[in-house]
Amino acid sequence: MGTITLSETNQDVIKNILGKVTNVPMLPQVVMRLLTLIGNSDHSLHEVVKIVESDAALTARILRVSNSAAFFRGNQVHSVSKAILQLGEKMVAGIAIGSCTSDVFKSPLHGYESAEGELWDHSLRTAIASREIASKFAKGVGADLAFTAGLLHDIGKAILSEFLKGSTREMAQKCDAGSYDFLQAEIEHSGTNHAAVGEVLANHWNLPIAIVEAIQHHHSPAAAGDEFRALVYAVHLGDLVAMMGGTGTGADTLAYKIDPGYEEYFTVDKDAIPELMLLVQDEFTRTKSAVFLDEGV
Amino acid sequence: MGTIYVGVGEFAASKTPGDVIKTMALGSCVGIVVLAPSIRAVGMLHVALPDSSINTKRVKEKPGMFADTGIPILLKEMQKLGLTGGKIIVKLAGGASIMDPNNTFNIGKRNILAVKKLLWKYRLGAVSEDLGDSISRTVSVEVDTGRVQISSPGRGTWEL
Ligand SMILES: [Fe+2]
Ligand SMILES: [Fe+2]
Repeated sequence: MGTITLSETNQDVIKNILGKVTNVPMLPQVVMRLLTLIGNSDHSLHEVVKIVESDAALTARILRVSNSAAFFRGNQVHSVSKAILQLGEKMVAGIAIGSCTSDVFKSPLHGYESAEGELWDHSLRTAIASREIASKFAKGVGADLAFTAGLLHDIGKAILSEFLKGSTREMAQKCDAGSYDFLQAEIEHSGTNHAAVGEVLANHWNLPIAIVEAIQHHHSPAAAGDEFRALVYAVHLGDLVAMMGGTGTGADTLAYKIDPGYEEYFTVDKDAIPELMLLVQDEFTRTKSAVFLDEGV
Repeated sequence: MGTIYVGVGEFAASKTPGDVIKTMALGSCVGIVVLAPSIRAVGMLHVALPDSSINTKRVKEKPGMFADTGIPILLKEMQKLGLTGGKIIVKLAGGASIMDPNNTFNIGKRNILAVKKLLWKYRLGAVSEDLGDSISRTVSVEVDTGRVQISSPGRGTWEL
């Protein structure tokens, strides 16, 4: 599953896909700097505050969210550092990503028969699940990094979707017949898959290597680089937890294989999964209502 | 009359003509649909997890979240609409899962088993079911006809 074989006949399609990627606007500096910083395990709150404060719109947004009903703790928050402490760094990164990539995330994925907003919901739920898996089971994996990687893992679908239009039924049929997973169906119909396209977009955006690896290998974690593999497994499982909870992106929901290789890196207790799912469900509902709907993402 | 949406862990019952009860995107969750022809009523429950013992606080807030606490509540809801001794028809949908060789993450299967076990306690069994596999399902039931429909992205709509 790791390597992608590109069939000759699809070279033109792939050229078109790559052309689409280069047309995606670059991420604003402030988001890049936040992602790079959070990907770095030894950084201080002060550094995060400095980056946020360099951007007036982001500062206003973050103060607004920390004072929203879902995060309000009884006192109005006026300082960025208090707001960040209250929300957690991953939320700050999430708010920054969401506010500047809403065009990418929000558009409907016609090739997946997925409605407007579903990619964002799936990404947010995967982010939360990846974070919880990292902090509960995969102790060595940074929870904030897992959140950010989860948020971006399926970004390739935003580009690939239109190249799958008209093939959705056929792809679904092949998956339902048993032998295919959706990645194989994507390759057959477009010459590539959403993880590979996501990698290209992630590189176009100059995202930190850990996040690029998570995007590229979230369905093939065993192929990730050694030092990133535990993180990629956390996102692999986070994605699954989001889909099981009913938050997928249409036709491909659950049509993937789970790689049990995570057991080499961390243990997931079978009996802890219902609790995990409940927690993710609650956090998703809370975060979604607080941040992303009234922020118009 | 209108469409009543049932969220995760929620339930609804109606005998208002024209009403449709609907639940969106069941993944590993199970949708339980009940039809009571004697009082022309229908009901639906969206269960997310098999067993309420994992979180007793949530049971109070949302008993419908769990199979063991949800099903009794759905049946009670039907009684509120006037169901006394009449026949209940049960239909089930959902309980999907990803391909997992170890079954560690197969909540879908555990939900299905728990729901069936609970129904059995009430001497109820499903007359039709669309369970398992690796797809997301949206389910609706009409009060007027009792017709239960399932749809899934990329797979159209079919009757249960
Ligand atoms: Fe994916
Ligand atoms: Fe995903």
